[in-house]
Amino acid sequence: MKNRFSAGRLTVYIVAYGLVAFMLIPIIWMFWVSFKPINSVVTVISELLTPPYGVESYIRVQESSMIWRWTLNSVIVGIVQTASTLLLSSLAAFAISRIAFKGKTFIFLLILAGLMVPVEATIVPLYELIVRFGWVNSYPALILPGIALPLGVLILKQFYDAIPNDLMEAAKIDGANLLRIWWSIFLPLSRTSMAALAIFVFVQSWNNFLWPLLVANDQSMMTLPVAIPTFQSSFTVDLTVPMAANVLASIPALIFFLIFQKQIIKGIAMTGIK
Amino acid sequence: MSKLAEVEAKEKVPMSKVKKREMWKSNLTAWLFLFPFVSLYLLFMVYPIIEGFIISLTRGGFGMDREFIGLSNYTTMLSDAFFWEALWNTIIFVLISTPSIVVLGLLMALLVNQGLKGTTFIRAAFFVPYMLSISVMTSIFVFIFQPYTGLLNEILRSVGLIDGEIFWLGETGLAWLSILVATLWWTVGFNMVLFLAGLQDISEEWYEAADMDGANAWQKFWHITLPSLRGVLTLVVILQSVASFKLFGQPWLMTGGGPGTSTRPLVQYIYELGFRNWNPGYASAVSYVLFLVMMIFAFIQYKLLIKKED
Repeated sequence: MKNRFSAGRLTVYIVAYGLVAFMLIPIIWMFWVSFKPINSVVTVISELLTPPYGVESYIRVQESSMIWRWTLNSVIVGIVQTASTLLLSSLAAFAISRIAFKGKTFIFLLILAGLMVPVEATIVPLYELIVRFGWVNSYPALILPGIALPLGVLILKQFYDAIPNDLMEAAKIDGANLLRIWWSIFLPLSRTSMAALAIFVFVQSWNNFLWPLLVANDQSMMTLPVAIPTFQSSFTVDLTVPMAANVLASIPALIFFLIFQKQIIKGIAMTGIK
Repeated sequence: MSKLAEVEAKEKVPMSKVKKREMWKSNLTAWLFLFPFVSLYLLFMVYPIIEGFIISLTRGGFGMDREFIGLSNYTTMLSDAFFWEALWNTIIFVLISTPSIVVLGLLMALLVNQGLKGTTFIRAAFFVPYMLSISVMTSIFVFIFQPYTGLLNEILRSVGLIDGEIFWLGETGLAWLSILVATLWWTVGFNMVLFLAGLQDISEEWYEAADMDGANAWQKFWHITLPSLRGVLTLVVILQSVASFKLFGQPWLMTGGGPGTSTRPLVQYIYELGFRNWNPGYASAVSYVLFLVMMIFAFIQYKLLIKKED
């Protein structure tokens, strides 16, 4: 075992933990600053590292912002978008994979072509559509345009294609209709792919910035990514309150990560590689 | 070919009534399954693409009767210095950020794959910034890069590297560097995960065989690891360059596109044309050019990275 700690091995350790420090210091700094009293000098490291500490800044964020409302908005948009994407793309993928119908190739190619279209390039017509529907500052505007995700159909179709036909034939003989086959055979079998897709969609939705910036300009309809900079822009000198807001905005995602770390990493690898 | 069509072709006889009814039923069921997805897809994806092109041929504000002006918006672009600047900024960012993230992501994946003590912790640390929302990430980095009160200058001062201050976000080159570092910090974990999945697919036996031939670590990396990662590499390069083409939030929140307009990317220019100058026609035309440039890039990458596999 001695040679495991050769000079080469030591270098590997130094590089690895050096990078760990680079990745973690900004996050630790965010937490640390947020616990200093409001308006304290946090820019001198020696002062930052000595007490007093407290939760003053957190109380201020709660009093002077709608942080819970913004978090709730982000959670609602994220969950509804993820659930709808899963449901709709799995139905569509099932039809494309398992039902014979006219225009199948055309529909599949049409959906595949969408993989190449950046949403950023369609914001003008999309925004006009939302205005015409009278949906500015509403959940439908935040949620609906992101649901029909080509990637979802692609991933699930590939998975469904690999499910042996015998299963389906057997169920048919038992008199099950297609909806029932989809629900009780294909959905349970594709749990891992679905979980992977769910994580992918949720993270995208949680971090979406440009689209909510366009359609949510009322404070009460903002999601966290749009609301946080708006709130912070009124603090130019004090760092503690903006950092407390950052911490509060990150906590749901960080908890989610700590609990589902393995699944998240596996999910991203799966959606990416497939 | 669909099954029914196959049967039909083989038999070469007119379909019986039963078969016709079955096929009609099959078509109907398929479309019922497809309807929810396809209707949203047509409304929010296909329609905007077509409508975007039509808007790009017009002049006039949102919700107004717009005047058809042909390709004028496109010819205006040719002599619009701001457009060229934004396009150039975007392409430079793609060309610099993509290789940086590939190298750093691969390095991180290799480190995680070494079986070091605390591997789970290291992997989590590399990935966790990706979980932060873009505005939290930029807010942290804006404060880190502050000239007088920022953490970075404070650290540099305390170790004696500088004694004044560096205006990280105030000078074009440094501002780009800051945006690049922030982006790397934020998204490299995602790419590391993809590389990691690729690494774990490589068979141990190849390394064992190489060991028997007396290959050193570098030779193993160059002749086994890297060639085996070709597929993942292609994927990361394509995903990352697409993401970099869509650059918006980082400069918007960190530099506002400044100093001046020197860090303004194409998406920010589109946003400002459309929603600050209220010029949807021109904004749509620039959107189409962005789309076109991305397609050209994707095509080049496809040719370079995928064709070589033959």
